[in-house]
Amino acid sequence: MASAAPAAKQPVTSPTARLERPTVRRRAHWSLARKQAAFGVAIILPTLAILAIFRLLPMVQALYLSVTAYDLVHPPRFVGLANFASLLQDPLFLKSARVSLTYVLFSVVPVLPLSLGLAVLFNRSIFIKNVLRSAIFMPVVMPAVVMAVVWTFMYQQDGVINTMLGFLGIDPIPWLRSSATALWAVILIGIWRATPYYMVIFLAGLQAIPADYYDAAKIDGAGLWGTFRYITLPLLKPTMLLVIVMNVIVAMKVFAVPMIMTGGGPADSTRVLPLFIYQTAFEFFDMGRAAAMSVFLFVGVMLFSFVQVRLFTRGDESR
Amino acid sequence: MMTPSESTATPTPRRGAPPQRWMGRALRRRGTIIASCVLVAIACVTLLPFYWMLSSSLRTMETMFSLPIQWIPWPPNWNSYVLAWRAQDFTRYFFNSGFVAIAITASNLLLCSLAGYSLTKFRYRGRGVMFLAILSTMMLPLEVTMVPLFLIIKRLDWANSYQGLIVPFLVDGFGVFLMRQYMMSIPKDLIDSARIDGASELRIFWTIVLPLCKPALVALAVFTFREAWDMYIWPLIIITKDSLRTLPLGISLFMSSYGTSWDQLMAIAVLGTLPMILLFFFLQRAFIQGIAATGLKE
Repeated sequence: MASAAPAAKQPVTSPTARLERPTVRRRAHWSLARKQAAFGVAIILPTLAILAIFRLLPMVQALYLSVTAYDLVHPPRFVGLANFASLLQDPLFLKSARVSLTYVLFSVVPVLPLSLGLAVLFNRSIFIKNVLRSAIFMPVVMPAVVMAVVWTFMYQQDGVINTMLGFLGIDPIPWLRSSATALWAVILIGIWRATPYYMVIFLAGLQAIPADYYDAAKIDGAGLWGTFRYITLPLLKPTMLLVIVMNVIVAMKVFAVPMIMTGGGPADSTRVLPLFIYQTAFEFFDMGRAAAMSVFLFVGVMLFSFVQVRLFTRGDESR
Repeated sequence: MMTPSESTATPTPRRGAPPQRWMGRALRRRGTIIASCVLVAIACVTLLPFYWMLSSSLRTMETMFSLPIQWIPWPPNWNSYVLAWRAQDFTRYFFNSGFVAIAITASNLLLCSLAGYSLTKFRYRGRGVMFLAILSTMMLPLEVTMVPLFLIIKRLDWANSYQGLIVPFLVDGFGVFLMRQYMMSIPKDLIDSARIDGASELRIFWTIVLPLCKPALVALAVFTFREAWDMYIWPLIIITKDSLRTLPLGISLFMSSYGTSWDQLMAIAVLGTLPMILLFFFLQRAFIQGIAATGLKE
C-alpha cells in the first residue's frame, strides 16, 4: 500500500523496498501520489462549495440576523439580544415552544414500541409476509401534503373517522375544530407515518443480530420474553437510540401537516415552532425575530443531531 | 406480542417427547397465525387513508358523507379527475415537481458518490475535518436556515426560478455519508490495479467504482427522489409564480380554494401519490433499503 504523504517523509519500512528504490524513483512515485491526492480534493470540492454556501453560510447569517431587526425594506439594525429577550416574554412564542415539545414527545414515545413491535412480528414466520410488509410500509410513500389533505377529509365532523367511532358508540369528535383535540389529531398522523419508517430500521437492526445468539438462548431454555429481554433489547440499544434521535429531529421539523390542516389554529394550539418561524418571517416580515427563533430550534436540533453524528462516526478509525 | 403462545405452553406439565415436539410445532404455527392476524389488522389501519382517498375520489359529492358508508362507490364518478385536473394547471405542476426532483436526484447521485469516493480512497490533509464538516451539515435543517437562505436566493435573484428550487439541494450531507460507508467496502487493490493498467482517475471512477456502488446508488436515488417530491416549505417560500409551482404547492392551493370539493381534492391526492406508489412497487427493495440505510451506523 503506497500511502501518500507520510511515505515521503518517513523511511520506507521494508528494507528490500529501500534497496530497490533509488531516490529518483521514489520522487516520481511521490508526485504521482500527489496527483492522486489532487484529484481526490478536486472531486470533493463541488460538494464542499455547495454545502458551504447553502448550509453553513445561512447558519452564520441566521446567527447574525438574530441580533438585528430586519423587515426586508430597511437595512438590518443591530439590536443586541433584544429579540431573544422579547421572545422569552412572548406568550405566543412560549406557547409555540410548548406545542412543539408536546408534539415531539407524543409523536416519538408511542412510535418506539409500535415500530419495534412491528419489526419483531415481521422478523418471525408470517403468512403473506411481503404483502403485509408493503401494506404497512405504505404511509411512508404518501407525500406529506397529500397526507394533510386526506386526513383533513377524514377528520371532518361527518367524516369517516367519526362515522367509525359512531359504530363503537362514541360521539363525534370535533378533531380539527377544537383546540383541545387539534394537536392530538396532528400527532396521530405523525405516528401513522413514522411507525412504518422506523419499523424498517428496526427490522434491519434485528436482522443484523446473529442467529447463533438465539440458538444458544434456546438451548439454555430461554422463553420468548427472556430472549427478547436479554438478547434482542440489549443488542438493539444503538438502533433504538438512533431511532429516538432521528424521530425527535423529524418531529421538531414538522411543518407541512399543521400548516395545511390548521394553519396553527385553533387558538394557536397547533402552531409548532417551524410554522411560527415561517409566519414570523414570511407573513409578518420580521426576519430578525424569526432568525432568533431559528436559533432556538437549532439548539434543539443540534443537541440531538450531535448524538446522531456520534452514532454515525462510532468505530470510525479513519478520522 | 408473542405471549399468547407462551402462556399456553406453561400449563402443560407432561413432558413426553413426541407430544411436545408436535405441540411445539402447533404452537409455533399458532403464533404465526396470531401474528399474521395482528399484522393484517394493522395493515387495515395503515391502508385506510389510501382506500378512503381512492374511493372518495370516485364518489359524487351527494354521496360523499351518506350513511351507511358506501365502501365501494358505484357507479364510479371519474369526472372528478377531469374537473380537478382542469381547475388548475396541474400538468405544469407535475412537470415542475418531476423536473426538480429528477435534477436533484441526478446531481446527488453524482456529487455524493464523488465525495464518498474522495473520502474513502484518497489521502490528503484535512480529509477527516472535511468529512466531519459535511456530516455536521446534517444538523442544519432547512427549517433552521430558511430565513437567511431565502435572503441569499433573493440576492442571487433566484426567487421564482428552477435554480432556486434545485441548486441549494444539489448535494446532501447524509447522501455523502451513505456513499462513503458503502465505498469503504470496495477494495483499494481494485483501483490500484486499474491505475497500473493506465486507466485515468475519472475512468476508474466511472467504469469501476460506480458500477460496484449500484445498490447504494439505487437506495440513495429513491431516498432523495422521495424527499424532493415531498418538498413543501422551500417552494412555498420562494415560488409565487403559478408556472413554477410544484405539485405540493398546487395541491395546497387547490385545498384552500376548493376546500369542500372533496371528490376533486381526493382525485388530485390520488394523482399526487401515484408516482410514489409506482416507484415503490417497481423499486420496492431499493425503497426499503434506502430507508433502512438511514439507520446505518457502522
